[in-house]
Amino acid sequence: MPETLALETREVSVTPVPHTHDEPARSAVSSRLLPVLEASLIWIFLLGGWFVAAEYLPLGDNPLVPSPLITARALWDSLPELWLGTISSFGILVPGFLLASLAGIGLGLSIGTSPRLQRAFFPFARVAAPVPPTVYIPYAIAILPTFKLSAIFVVFIGAFWPIFQNAAAGAHALEERYRDNARILGLSGFEYHRRVVFPAALPHIFSGMAVGLGFSFILLTVAELFGANAGLGRFVQYYADFADYPKMVAGILYTGLVTFLAMTGLEKLKRRALFWQR
Amino acid sequence: MNHGLVLDGIDFSYDATTILQGINLTIPAGQFVTLLGASGSGKSTLLRLVAGLQFPERGRLSWSDAPITGPGLNRGVVFQDYALFPWMSVVDNIAIAIGKARPETAKSARLAEAREYLVKVGLESAIGKYPFELSGGMRQRAAIARALALGSPLLLMDEPFGALDPVNRARLQDLVLEIWEAATPRKTIVFVTHDVDEALYLGDRVVILGSTPGRIIADLPVEFTRHRERRSLFNSDEFHQLRESIAETLAADTLRQLVAA
Repeated sequence: MPETLALETREVSVTPVPHTHDEPARSAVSSRLLPVLEASLIWIFLLGGWFVAAEYLPLGDNPLVPSPLITARALWDSLPELWLGTISSFGILVPGFLLASLAGIGLGLSIGTSPRLQRAFFPFARVAAPVPPTVYIPYAIAILPTFKLSAIFVVFIGAFWPIFQNAAAGAHALEERYRDNARILGLSGFEYHRRVVFPAALPHIFSGMAVGLGFSFILLTVAELFGANAGLGRFVQYYADFADYPKMVAGILYTGLVTFLAMTGLEKLKRRALFWQR
Repeated sequence: MNHGLVLDGIDFSYDATTILQGINLTIPAGQFVTLLGASGSGKSTLLRLVAGLQFPERGRLSWSDAPITGPGLNRGVVFQDYALFPWMSVVDNIAIAIGKARPETAKSARLAEAREYLVKVGLESAIGKYPFELSGGMRQRAAIARALALGSPLLLMDEPFGALDPVNRARLQDLVLEIWEAATPRKTIVFVTHDVDEALYLGDRVVILGSTPGRIIADLPVEFTRHRERRSLFNSDEFHQLRESIAETLAADTLRQLVAA
């Protein structure tokens, strides 16, 4: 009966064949669980240490190390305020980072493909890029009309240089075969940059954007210490001033989580955009 | 009148090393010429000069009576390393060439035309795919489709099948011959290879380059009738004789190099 036969063969080919392992069931479970367990170890260890420190160290009435439970409650109570702070902070971070990406990629690709522009711009970049962007904060606040604008400017400066440098490096490192092909096809100018240089430089650009996003968060929170009336950095500073350590720690944890989520989002975007890389 | 491809007294050096010396070559329009030589004979460089990607130190190049001053859409190129753009789908890789060669073509018409070229090279199954999803042979088919899509009367092929396994290599050789023989007027093809059998199977004429510096050491007509049949050709006495004399020419050049060194 050919039908049964076909069914049987299909079943056999679909069923996982366990003969590669001595103990198939156990090794399958452990190979899936072990990495999770390994990754959890540090968290379990830190959380345990935190519990022990909060419970058994003589820290007084308003301990600098509030217990995890108290912190969790403070976090829960502060969520509405933290959410508003997030919106306020993102009102600075998003425009600053996006403008830096646009300018960094545009200038980086143009300069990276033009030896003449490189000669004109790189001597300046070598001096300007290493200046710590935090030193601009007081002057930016003094010179620009609103705090928000100054903070956007500082985030922009911090994110611009790594993105620019990586985009320029990526454009400069364009493989000769792609350049030859573009020339054979008569691609030039903006079309050449958009369809060849930009996609080829994307791996570099994403590295620059990851560094730039990290800097953006640092500069955002530092700038908020100077003059903001809302925001994530402002939240932490505000409750530190009132010695409300549970809320302060809650703010730190929350900011960490937001930064992590933003980085993860960028990483996802990168994987999606670079699907063509083997 | 089209005088074809004319190379007149070409010298080319790179980093004080002479790569090509005194190259004189005229290829009439419609001829299939194979450029045969060992590695280091400058045969790829010669092709890059014709493509307009590099410029000779001395001498003149012209195609169809117009001097070659840079890359142009009247010359299509297929390189050895599959130089499709990996971030574009296969059909987009072809469509971009059509868009450059015939900008008046509407976008949808470009895609339709690109599909036709892919069908022509036997890639209908790969139309929506990306280069990383294709085998080496399929990528090279796509590269050929792109060069054809440019519609250029001159096709430059730089060891296009050098990285392929023998079966795929033979299939693609037949594909190139089939396309070339079917077209009227026939395209002029300059095909670089270091494989003697490939040179003889494909060419109307084999131009042999010697090494250090690269220069023409032989220029032989290959007069086997067209619509060549691989097996009977490879077994014929004429084929063996020609193959033998080319091997001797190449060996003599290697010996000359050793003596000079």
